[in-house]
Formats: sequence, C-alpha cells, structure tokens
Amino acid sequence: MRIDLRSFVTNGVKEVFDKMLSMGIKPVEISPTDTIEGSKVVGSVSFAGAILGSVNIHISDQLSKVLAAGMLGLSPEDIEGDDEVNDVVGELSNMIGGYLKSRFCDAGFPCELSIPSVTKGSDFRVESLQWDTREKFGFEPDGGRIIVEVFLKRGA
Amino acid sequence: MTLKILTVDDSKTIRTIVKRAFSPYDCEVFEAENGVEGLSLASKIKPDLVVLDLTMPVMNGVEMLEKMKADPTLKAIPVIMLTAESGRDNVLRIVKLGVNDYIVKPFKGEQLIQRAEKILKLEPKKEDKTDELLERYISQKDSYYIINLPDKITKVVMVEIENVLKKTMESLAKTGICLLNLLNVADINVSLVKVILQVIEECQKNKVKVKLVGSQQMANELKGFSELERLPIYTTFEDAIA
Repeated sequence: MRIDLRSFVTNGVKEVFDKMLSMGIKPVEISPTDTIEGSKVVGSVSFAGAILGSVNIHISDQLSKVLAAGMLGLSPEDIEGDDEVNDVVGELSNMIGGYLKSRFCDAGFPCELSIPSVTKGSDFRVESLQWDTREKFGFEPDGGRIIVEVFLKRGA
Repeated sequence: MTLKILTVDDSKTIRTIVKRAFSPYDCEVFEAENGVEGLSLASKIKPDLVVLDLTMPVMNGVEMLEKMKADPTLKAIPVIMLTAESGRDNVLRIVKLGVNDYIVKPFKGEQLIQRAEKILKLEPKKEDKTDELLERYISQKDSYYIINLPDKITKVVMVEIENVLKKTMESLAKTGICLLNLLNVADINVSLVKVILQVIEECQKNKVKVKLVGSQQMANELKGFSELERLPIYTTFEDAIA
C-alpha cells in the first residue's frame, strides 16, 4: 500500500489543532510501546472500503479538558462533566479521520468513514489484530501529549 | 430583522462554534441534532440559512437536504454544508446536491461568517452590550479616549469596534483626537490594517483625528502596507498626546 501515512497524519492533526484550537502542535518520536499513562480519553473512527482500518486518538484526561474548553470557548474549570469532553474528542477524531479518509480516497482507495466513538478510562489498551499496517504517531500540543494510532489493511 | 439560522449537527461542539460565530450579529440560532429534528424545526421556523452537517445519525445531511429540496416551502432556504471530508469525490457529490456553499472541517467561525455573508446580509447585533464593549475597548488617559485593540483581530472584533465607535463617537468628537492602542496586538495582518482603516475612516467622518500608538517593530512592519505607510505611529501615549 503506497501511502505516506506519517505525512497524512501529521498534516491532518496540525490542521485540526490550528483551525479549531489555534494551538501549535509538534510531532515527536515515540516507540510502538508508548502509551498515555493514567486516565485518558480515546476517540476512534473506522474506514471501510478499498481500505479497512481505524484511527484512535489517545488524549490524557487533563489535556482533553483543555481541548474541550478551547473548542467550546470556556475555561478548563468550567468543564465539569464528561459530555463536553466526549463530544469534543469525538469531533476531533471525526475531523482527523475525515482528513485521512479524503487523502485515502484521493490516493485511489475509496472508503467510507464511521461516526466517531469515544472511550474513557484508565489502564486500558486498544488492541486490533491482523492489520497490514499498525503505526503510532506522537504529538505534543502545549503541555500535553497525544498519540494517534492507525490500523490499516487492504479492503475488497 | 433578526435572521434565523438553523444549525443541524450531532456534535454539540460544532453547534456551539456555529452559535458563537453568529453571536455578534442580529441572528437567532436554532439547534437540531439530526436531519429529522432539523426538518421539523425548519418547517416550523423557516430559517434564513441552514448550516447542515453531512454525517449524522438518524437522518444524515444528504437525506435532509433532499427532503428540503422536495418540499416547496423549504426548497428555497439556503444551505451551507459542513463536511469532515475534503476528497474530490465528496466535494463533487456535495456540489451536485444543490447546496449554496460547503465548508470542510476543520473550520474557523470567521470562515463560516464569510460564506454566510455571501448569502445573507448580516447586521451587527442590536442587543445592548454597550457597557461590556466599552469596558473592553475604551479607556481614558487624561482627557483623551483610547481605543484598545486586543491581541488578535478577528471578524468579531471588527464588528464590535464598529459598534463601539457608533456609541462613543459623540464623546470622541468633543475631544477631536483619539488614540488607537496597538500595543497589545500580537499579529500584524490584513485584518489589523482593515480595522485601523475602519477606525480612521469613521473618525474622519466626524472630524476626529486618530493617533496610533504601537511598538517600533509594529511601526516598521505596518509601513509595508501602502494604506498606512505615511501614518506616524507613536511608541508612547505621551508622545501621541504631545
């Protein structure tokens, strides 16, 4: 599969953080075993078509509140419940997934994008088996870390 | 006349961003979570504009749009489609649906307003937020009024400055001079030039002279804009008043 996944993910994440949060974000090298420690929120969207797979965005609980506040024009102290955080993380996943889907389609792999889902908790991992490609990309916005994990394989 | 804007999106975040974008204007924003709710609300309120998400549960944006176009009472309502997908095929599909415009997420509120202004005439909100705006933008030094620009100049700021000028012009005219404080402005861009020209033009109409106060670096950079190259920029309020 000839796809420059690193460049797709990096450009997508940068564009979403710049436009929606006016937040600079820089890519950082991470190892395949790196994870977000402690309580975290994971937003996921899936692709189905000529390409199959999913993208999972791992964000620490604390950073997710900062992002939710930024998107909603509030201060982090005003974010009390999970609803706002889940909605914002879902929407960020949708936009990053949408960006990837568009690049896949333009590269000759037409596919559809699912509605985002959000999982919250601590001490859990997202496992997916039998993928051709499994890559993790790290990003550091102001005062936090985000891990974007992509699973892909050729579809029918 | 207050314009009715209907935002149809399953994400509360996006509905909030849409509401915030239209908040400086004389608009009432209605919300729906999916196409079914959106159609029902559209029939009831007959909005002046629908901002419609493409991907939603229950009924998606395509289905809602098709039903609107099939309904004689709704088919003329302008629609701006929001989509997270910018691929060629998706864009072509949206254009064929007969929407007035589309915006690819991620987007800024300013982008939405720019597109909406091609369809509607947006007027600044009549609601009286004068005290709040005056406190934010106007201060006094001795007997002179200072218009303080914030670090970031957005479309919202431009509309608010327009409102502030309307409210304070009588007082400004009495002193004959006002100071435009650029010291807090972080980015020098076209929006900043526009707002400076907006203030100068409005003040000139009322015979009020505007003196700009900013850093030396800003003075140098603003000289790059032909409209402002001859305008002196003072580095302190004292110099400007002297």
